[in-house]
Amino acid sequence: MTVATDDMVVPSRAGAAVASVVDLRVHFRSKAGIVHAVDGVSFDIKDGETLGLVGETGCGKTVTARSFLGLVPTPPGIIAGGSILFRSHQACPSCGGAGCDRCTETGQHTVDLLDIPESEMRAIRGDRIAMVFQDPGKALNPALSIRAQVAEVFYQHRWRELLADAGIDEDDRSIASSLIRRKARDLSRWPEDILLSLPPLRAKRNRLRTVTRARVADALAETQIANPKKLMERYPHELSGGMRQRVMIAQALACDPDLLIADEPTTALDVTVQARILDLVKELQERHRTSVLYISHDLSLVSKVCDRVAVMYAGRIVETAATDVIFSDPRHPYTRGLLAAIPAASHERGKLVGISGTVPELIDPPAMCRFAGRCPYEAELCRTTDPMPASAGEDHEVACFIHDAPPGATGLPSFDLRVR
Amino acid sequence: MRIFARDEQPAPSIDSDRMLAVRGLRKYFPIKEGAMQRVAGHVKAVDGVSFDLKRGDTLGLVGESGCGKTTLGKCVSGLVDPTEGGVYFSLSDEVQLQLDDLLAIPAENRTEAEEAELDRLEQLHRVDRMGRDSWRHYRRNCQVVFQESFASLNPRHLVKDIVGRPLRVHREASGDELTNRVVDLLEQVGMGRQHLYRYPHQFSGGQRQRISVARALALDPELIVLDEPTSALDVSVQAQILNLLHELQQEHNLTYLFISHDLSVVRHMADQIVVMYLGRVAEAGPTEAIFDQPMHPYTEALLAASPEIGAVDDSMPSLEGSVPDPARPPSGCRFHTRCPVATPLCGWDVDDVVRWLEDSDGMFDALTGVTRDSEFDAWFTFDSTEDAGRLGEAVKSDSVSASMRGALEEVTVDGNRIRLRFTPVDPVELTVRGPDHVAACVLERRERGV
Repeated sequence: MTVATDDMVVPSRAGAAVASVVDLRVHFRSKAGIVHAVDGVSFDIKDGETLGLVGETGCGKTVTARSFLGLVPTPPGIIAGGSILFRSHQACPSCGGAGCDRCTETGQHTVDLLDIPESEMRAIRGDRIAMVFQDPGKALNPALSIRAQVAEVFYQHRWRELLADAGIDEDDRSIASSLIRRKARDLSRWPEDILLSLPPLRAKRNRLRTVTRARVADALAETQIANPKKLMERYPHELSGGMRQRVMIAQALACDPDLLIADEPTTALDVTVQARILDLVKELQERHRTSVLYISHDLSLVSKVCDRVAVMYAGRIVETAATDVIFSDPRHPYTRGLLAAIPAASHERGKLVGISGTVPELIDPPAMCRFAGRCPYEAELCRTTDPMPASAGEDHEVACFIHDAPPGATGLPSFDLRVR
Repeated sequence: MRIFARDEQPAPSIDSDRMLAVRGLRKYFPIKEGAMQRVAGHVKAVDGVSFDLKRGDTLGLVGESGCGKTTLGKCVSGLVDPTEGGVYFSLSDEVQLQLDDLLAIPAENRTEAEEAELDRLEQLHRVDRMGRDSWRHYRRNCQVVFQESFASLNPRHLVKDIVGRPLRVHREASGDELTNRVVDLLEQVGMGRQHLYRYPHQFSGGQRQRISVARALALDPELIVLDEPTSALDVSVQAQILNLLHELQQEHNLTYLFISHDLSVVRHMADQIVVMYLGRVAEAGPTEAIFDQPMHPYTEALLAASPEIGAVDDSMPSLEGSVPDPARPPSGCRFHTRCPVATPLCGWDVDDVVRWLEDSDGMFDALTGVTRDSEFDAWFTFDSTEDAGRLGEAVKSDSVSASMRGALEEVTVDGNRIRLRFTPVDPVELTVRGPDHVAACVLERRERGV
């Protein structure tokens, strides 16, 4: 197990990626065939940035996010290929930050999240990478108080610090200390709890309890919850949607992660609450220097919070660019369609430009552009060949033949780049 | 062709441009407690709402979750009986005037003749009191499309049964004719004969919502209540459904009551907008007026909070706190607890102090009791003299808002007890702010420095 202490933190180099997804493929077995839910997705999350992952329902954005933390159930899921390289801010254990082959000369602890044992994943999950789920009502355990749920993070990842705070020597091998140690890791069974409640051990246990509560209260106070000491004794059903999402965020940021995955964190909330939660995420991100992978189906939200945006369609990334570029100069017909579909003040009623047709079935998809069939610019080539992401400007990638025609291709429509 | 065999005739469909009138509508849900299910209070979901709905118009109903917009929609569609007030349907202009005159007289002052006349009118027009035939007439003419298309379509019925059900219930068609009518309806919403014999789970969200719309259209209604019809859909599908709804409205001269929390969608669809907050109307008026010149701070906050691509104002100003408990709504203006421009006249009361104590560290635990003389006047009893003193200090300091301090008329500390008395105020009524534009705020726009 790795423990983050200040002297081991390696500052990452400017512009370095905290995570690189390379050709990720996640498939699902179904009665009708293999569903290619995520089919060759590649992107980088740079250090300290917020990357937005946008797309319609069923385009694979949640599956992509869940594969970061090994939360895709296998079976029916199949990790069919690719890798997710994650570089935490901790020093590489094999070279101690000097730079070696294993950490590709960065000196940072680098792992392939798809290829590590479960024990190592447990150490990373919730500690270095945390996740905020869409529906806080479902993601919180209704039978546990808020305190118990937030404390779990500390028991799992910060128990040494809890012991240190409570003034209990970690190397003390006495039975009393080991009981407390087990308590700090939330491993105690009921006979141990009885022993711990007896006078010789009670003082230590109470000290541990006090420091845990203080940490939980601090974590909750971070998310601007008024009176956290009172709130943490409540249960999820007693809280409003916005409060629950704050608790989720507090839980996620408790260990100061390097990467926060926010999977539609405000979809279940009202606009007024949504605005406050977004402010909060932004502020905390700046304070903690956390990178954020922000998943949403709402382009207008993404335009507010993200530095860069990756647009997903049917298991593929079709366009990646900086936020202002995506919204001022979208190059992929799908991105344009999505933008045009948002009702704006200027739209005449009944004249919204939707994208015709529906998302294709992802069962054994043929080698062709996934957007063919709904695309207004479709050509013969699109139905026979699969477009690959290609550069369309600085830090702007588009997977469309209009921008990256293979030599000798004919019949491609002209694409007015000025139109928006 | 509608045939009513009974002697009681329903109110005829009239050419008045008023579709529906809602007058003083209230819906309270009892809160039951304990083994005896004693009624401990009421959740005031809708608390005195009045508006008119014009024929062929779309009325947008917006507000946060829990503001009562869905309950209002249910009252309008007759799915829930209101506690007080009512929804009046197919009124001609004279009848409307007559009814408004009768309703203006307080119940205890009405003569027997007036009472009888009101009774007669309500039997014909008031949705929850209608006689059998008027009710049947109303049910054909008012249909609902719900938010969750999964929950509102029976998973064990075929599309043909779902869409054909209203036709069957009203004995409009059967056999081959029913099938043909259903195919017609499906084609109107962009689906077809191939979908007849499928189950709801075989469709995508957008298609299921189309089926809901087809079902609502089956009896050729005049009014459709759309309760968040696109909230569960993607933007591209939402665009398709909104276009479809607009086309159908043009074609059939439909009237929509469009309930949504998404302001950009409401702005796109609605001619008139009603903004609700905690069961009351905060502001109502034509769409452009509401968006260009909001008169209520709550409307402004909603507009500011909804993200829009390319919006100039990049800092999203956000609203403090959460919606108060609708079982004990704040006095005066219900929005004053969160209002950025609240004044001492907005209705600060004892509950505001309790709410403030709940949020402040340790103070609430020290509170042992509150003895109320009225909403605005109460004795707070604490464990110790210091705690009472602390509250006495706090209400005079910056830790409470300036407008709350302004509303405080008396602070008396007596040992471990403290008396707080606020200026009593009446509920804030809607006042006219422009043509067809009303808002319930004590401030004028210019007073707020806008």
